[in-house]
Amino acid sequence: MKNPLKAFRHMSYERKKGLYGYGFIAFWFIGALLFLLFPVFESFYYSLFNVVPETGYMKITPIVTNGVTDYISNYKYAFTVDPNFRQLLVEALEDIALKLPVILVFSLFVAIVINQKFRGRTFARAIFFLPVIIATGPVYAIITGDINISGNSNADQFSSMFEADMVDQLLEFVGIYGFGSRFTEIITTITSDILNLVWNCGIQIIIFLSALQSIPSSAKEVGQIEGATGWEFFWKVTLPYVSPMILVNIIYTVIDSFTDPTSGVMERILSVQSEWKYGLASAMSWSYFGIVLIAIGIIFSIMKRFVWYENE
Amino acid sequence: MDENKNGSVSESTVAVVTEEHEKKHIIGDDENMHLHSTKEAAEDISKKVDVVDDKETAASFFTVRIKEPVLDFLHTLRMFFPESEPHYKEAKYTRAELKERFRKRLEHMSPAEQRKLKIQRALGWAWPIFRAMIIIGLCFIILYPLIFMVSTAFRTRADMSDPTVLWIPRNLTLSNLKDAMLTMDYWPTFRNTLIINIGCSIIQVFSCALTGYGFARFKFKGQSILFFIVVLQILIPPQIINIPQFKFFRYFDPFGLLTAMGGEAINFIDNPITMYLPAILGNGIRAGLFIFLFRQSFRGLPKELEDAAYLDGCSPFKTFLMVMAPNAASTFLTVFLFSIVWYWNDYYVTSTFFTSFGIIALKLKNLDAAIAKTIFGNTTVPVRDLVVWLEAGCLAGITPILILYIALQKYFTEGISRSGLTGM
Repeated sequence: MKNPLKAFRHMSYERKKGLYGYGFIAFWFIGALLFLLFPVFESFYYSLFNVVPETGYMKITPIVTNGVTDYISNYKYAFTVDPNFRQLLVEALEDIALKLPVILVFSLFVAIVINQKFRGRTFARAIFFLPVIIATGPVYAIITGDINISGNSNADQFSSMFEADMVDQLLEFVGIYGFGSRFTEIITTITSDILNLVWNCGIQIIIFLSALQSIPSSAKEVGQIEGATGWEFFWKVTLPYVSPMILVNIIYTVIDSFTDPTSGVMERILSVQSEWKYGLASAMSWSYFGIVLIAIGIIFSIMKRFVWYENE
Repeated sequence: MDENKNGSVSESTVAVVTEEHEKKHIIGDDENMHLHSTKEAAEDISKKVDVVDDKETAASFFTVRIKEPVLDFLHTLRMFFPESEPHYKEAKYTRAELKERFRKRLEHMSPAEQRKLKIQRALGWAWPIFRAMIIIGLCFIILYPLIFMVSTAFRTRADMSDPTVLWIPRNLTLSNLKDAMLTMDYWPTFRNTLIINIGCSIIQVFSCALTGYGFARFKFKGQSILFFIVVLQILIPPQIINIPQFKFFRYFDPFGLLTAMGGEAINFIDNPITMYLPAILGNGIRAGLFIFLFRQSFRGLPKELEDAAYLDGCSPFKTFLMVMAPNAASTFLTVFLFSIVWYWNDYYVTSTFFTSFGIIALKLKNLDAAIAKTIFGNTTVPVRDLVVWLEAGCLAGITPILILYIALQKYFTEGISRSGLTGM
């Protein structure tokens, strides 16, 4: 028998440090087991069966079709029978594909603007980060809902107040009629919702701003000495330095928009949950989550080529 | 030709002579150096030092002990009084003269340079105006809901349908706010929320810091897999796993320990422990993100700091507590502040675990039904009629966070950039 204390004393320094590492993360690991991993596996388990809540436990019965237990029945139902799920899924993917570039360009632009020196910069920054503080809570949802409903008498309806139908008018002005309703539809979805755009970009702006501030002054000096114009400086210096954060922002935006409880798919999942169909709800959320992960993986592998790291 | 030749010859001879002279000189110096013995050199130095000492006592005492300190003091004083006039005299031109000078400068330039300069000047004029327009416009969009909230919260219901009232209400009233606060049971709810909020945030900051430090500074087996769990923690929305979590607290029996010891599962619903326990175990609201932030910021600290502590015999935990944590103080503050804000804003997790226990966010979420019940007597009222009370409730619910944000705005906005997010 080896005395464990003695064994610990004779251990190499590196291994000892490693054990301390386990000690540091032990609390979190127990928590992750209890509140993350078990629930995740449990919900996956639910997704394979027919689940009915009873007092004190979940009644789990296998779904039998044609005499064979059918484990993927819930998934089949979600994708083929459920009237809304597939359509909502496609809509969510389209929505993010349209919104992502706009959010990225907009937040990078705002970050560059409020990174410049001008009078009242602190004040402007404080206002631009306000959405980060407020938008996650119920207050924002209530206020925007109220504004839409109340219409505020002779003031313009809020929803139409910031709606820019400029694109159509511009196209018509130039002489292009009927450019394809699909195209104008896409553009109007992008431009019409400036309020939501501004209110959903807080974190992205912070991340870009911190990236901009970490551009070394030597790089700026080189740009000045070589006589780079602002345009050249942006493409040759700013963008490469910011590129790792573009990747981070893409992933953040994708996750944020997919997991938003007011998004169509999330609402559908929650409503199925409130009908006590836990098996189906779990199957839906698992397939949704899987699609999100695949989407992130694809974006990540594409974007990885365009990211430039200073140390490499 | 001859003269030239002579001249060149004489020049070259002179050059040779001087070169030789220099060479000799250098060699001579070298020889001198060799002649000096180490002893002599030492004596030389001691003599010089003596001389300096003698002089110091006599003459430089004044400059070292009195003059320089006084000058230093005056210099520091000058920092507080900015100079009224610059050292140099600026050349002053009238507008016409400046224009004339610029025109003259342009004349010496190539057309391409001229064009570039003109574009630059135009941009220099236009950009600040354009920028101001963008910033003011966007700020207005951001502030619009808040202005609407304040404007609506203090007006009577009649003003909502009054077409002449746009922003400033005709009849100012505090009754909306009073009613909303009464319906929300504001002050007891506020106290509840504050206690849970601050308690959870403090606990969460420390549990996340410990975990982040463990990931940042120790190498152990399975580290990458474990860190992937942290990433999952950020990725997985609470909506997907809230049913198993609810079940966990409704029939609280971790790992089957309680039943194994002969006890019974406990019902923890409506008990604040449903918030505290995840926070203690590093799985509170947005804990994954905080662990990530801490890991980044601890990675950015120099390794020498903790090596010194280890050499002095600190245990790893003591090192973390006494050396590393104080050095990451700004990250602690940032995480604490964001934690408070997110706990304050959360209603999803709280609505899973609480049915009667009051939390501000939860009360706000259910405010429309509550108002309809207390003021309109449980009739179905269109939300349009409730707007004034809803906005008043929002105002009451958001004010504490806004005050916190305004007071500590610097730490919110600079915190994330300083906590090393960019070093990813």
